[in-house]
Amino acid sequence: MIHKFDVVIVGAGGAGLRAAVEIPKEYSCAVISKVFPTRSHTGTAQGGVCAALSNEEDDSWLNHAFDTVKGSDYLGDQDAIEIMCQDAPRAIIELEHMGMPFSRTPEGKIAQRKFGGHTKPENPNDPNSKRIPVKRACYSADRTGHVMLQTLYETCIKNQVNFFSEYFLTDLIIEDNTCKGVTALDIATSDIHVFHAKCVMFATGGYGRVYRITSNAHVGTGDGCALAYQAGLPLEDMEFYQFHPTGLWRLGILVSEAARGEGGILRNNKNEPIMEVYAPIVKDLAPRDMVSRAIISEIRAGRGILGSDGTYYINLDLTHLGKEVIDEKIPEITGFARTYLGVEPTKESVPIQPTAHYAMGGIPTNYDTEVLADHKGNTVKGFYAAGECACVSVHGANRLGTNSLLDLVVFGRRGGKKIAEFLKTADYTDFDSDPKERANSTLARLLNQAGNEKTSAIRRELQENMMEKCGIFRNEADLKQMKSIIKQLKQKYNNITVQDKGKVFNTDLLETIELANLLDIAEAINDSALNRTESRGAHDREDFPARDDKNWMKHTFIRKSSDGEETKIAYKKVVKTRFEPMERKY
Amino acid sequence: MIERNFKIWRGNSKGGDFVNYKISIDEGMVVLDALKLIQADQANDLGLRWNCKAGKCGSCSMEINGKPKLACMDRVTDYKEDSQITVRPVKTFPVIKDLVTDLSWNYEQNKRIPPFKPKPRENGAKYRMQQEDVDRVQEFRKCIECYLCQNVCHILRDQEKKNKFVGPRFMIRLASLEMHPLDTEDRIPAIKNEYGSGYCNITKCCTEVCPESIKITDNGIIPIKERVVDRFYDPVLKLFRVFSGSKK
Repeated sequence: MIHKFDVVIVGAGGAGLRAAVEIPKEYSCAVISKVFPTRSHTGTAQGGVCAALSNEEDDSWLNHAFDTVKGSDYLGDQDAIEIMCQDAPRAIIELEHMGMPFSRTPEGKIAQRKFGGHTKPENPNDPNSKRIPVKRACYSADRTGHVMLQTLYETCIKNQVNFFSEYFLTDLIIEDNTCKGVTALDIATSDIHVFHAKCVMFATGGYGRVYRITSNAHVGTGDGCALAYQAGLPLEDMEFYQFHPTGLWRLGILVSEAARGEGGILRNNKNEPIMEVYAPIVKDLAPRDMVSRAIISEIRAGRGILGSDGTYYINLDLTHLGKEVIDEKIPEITGFARTYLGVEPTKESVPIQPTAHYAMGGIPTNYDTEVLADHKGNTVKGFYAAGECACVSVHGANRLGTNSLLDLVVFGRRGGKKIAEFLKTADYTDFDSDPKERANSTLARLLNQAGNEKTSAIRRELQENMMEKCGIFRNEADLKQMKSIIKQLKQKYNNITVQDKGKVFNTDLLETIELANLLDIAEAINDSALNRTESRGAHDREDFPARDDKNWMKHTFIRKSSDGEETKIAYKKVVKTRFEPMERKY
Repeated sequence: MIERNFKIWRGNSKGGDFVNYKISIDEGMVVLDALKLIQADQANDLGLRWNCKAGKCGSCSMEINGKPKLACMDRVTDYKEDSQITVRPVKTFPVIKDLVTDLSWNYEQNKRIPPFKPKPRENGAKYRMQQEDVDRVQEFRKCIECYLCQNVCHILRDQEKKNKFVGPRFMIRLASLEMHPLDTEDRIPAIKNEYGSGYCNITKCCTEVCPESIKITDNGIIPIKERVVDRFYDPVLKLFRVFSGSKK
């Protein structure tokens, strides 16, 4: 079946839905999603969305921008960061007007709370004075992302956006540097649908499933990033992958940063508060990359707590907060701890370990979400990307908590506006080759190829090795070994036999396609990590422990080479406006 | 390692039957983990919806030993060692394959509901709302659309009156709009006439199965029913309206 839409948006999380809201009614708009829109991963964001509203205390967007730049370890593009932080208060008010019920202050304003890495100068007249935590995160109880997602979905319904739910992306059609549409598989029937479009936006989310321990849902397999990469486009800053410090031990399920925002303390096996050593001023509210490294360092130094299966964890102590605060402010954490670990957080500590959480890297775009074809800033006609799958880059080497939800609504909207402008003069372009045939032949190959390999076994091997060799701490030997493992796994992939030959809800087939995407993503992460011989933000090279501003104030653009053998790397300069790089201490 | 026996319904829209599986699991695993293990090792073609594995996305609704539940929040060790764990798809919606059902009816109901319509702001002034008022809406906003409430609602499940009643999920959706401090839309006549609020006979089965512990009946449906009664059946208010010319 062939569909024609002015714009096709792939992914129905915050960025995709916000973009769809912005498309004027005179244009036809389809949103394709591999799950029902309200099941998208945006819905799991708990803590909040930051904006310098100054509802609880004095603040300014410049403080927010400074924190974002510093949090990014000076790799974020400052022009884009300024746009985001300046636009944030408007974006929050807009969500309120769509019906999003933010929590309130006693005066009835939108309430705000503290969050890791968000600060202001102690003396407002001296920007260089000591920085102290500031209440900047707006929230809706502890389900900010969920409520945002529902609000945006309902606004899309109001605007009569066409949804194709449970459609799985199979191909991105770019010919002569022009994006012409996508193909997708209807999961209920396995039929291939061609979506012929004047332009396409990817809002396909992240790829945490490349790691064994992850907070990401099943959908987080980087399909959009992988398809762009397979289409010959570069991916940007893939070496920067954020581990959230507080995942439930062994499971990776996220314990919100709000737990530390409300006063939770990380303790080692001697019951010492570990962050006193690693970030003496902001302590447990230090940015995620630092806290994650602190946890692993403690465990390596023999100060972790030994679990029943022989692995180690660190304790998150919430007991001093009292039942009322825990039940009122962070109720979900209790549910998780009880269900999955049999732990009662009001009485005992919650075992945690860092969990793969957020991709700072992705499809390179400018701040109007137009996808870059190269490191020089040339764009692909009719192709846009926003949200976690994109790299603007506002998060640089490390994202601050709450800035992801903000990224979604700010750049989702900007993308929608840019698309509306593009559609004024755009037209459909004919396909050079039959996209349906290409997608069907890929499926046929996967279903019919003979071999003994199993998708789940290869995936597990990939995830475990990525965790160990390309995770929080990295070094040349590990990364080289990982490179050869990925190559072997790619060969094994060609010997997978999809067991389920059926047409209806064939998850075996879908997971096999997703695995191809994960393997490509892993390659891009690992090769970028091997190439960057410095430590910055979330990328920590044990063999190059210092940040090297002289040689590495630049973005990595990695490209799958055309013969499918070796990747190629180019660089793009970081954009600086007003914030000079300095040492990142908290 | 712990052993458990599973009995899983396998089939499609034309019919099906239960199939037995025996597996070894780790302590702390939930039913969804067990199903995924069965899918990986014994039944690659087992139809199964899941996503977040943390009780937040609402994908893995099914009936486990007769109780509607999220498979990701149900610990296997809560079932006795010698017991059999029976898993079947939710009954109220048509089966697509195995444990996967066709939920599209629900999404159609959502489209029928008039959207949020905020009161205009005077001279661009900012809205003020009290937490007390926002609390009610936030409770309804906890809904993850797992549709377990729709699955147990007698009107939908046994009486099959999907054409008459939108079900508890959408009564909650309506309540979240009607009780929103800023909303100005009047949905009360439609709640009575089109969405079928009168069909609910307050057995509270929906509240009982809600994984988010939303007090669907007490906090959502009953207050909405009361608004319908006030509007259409209260003789004193009716007289008042005749004389005052007021709509509400």
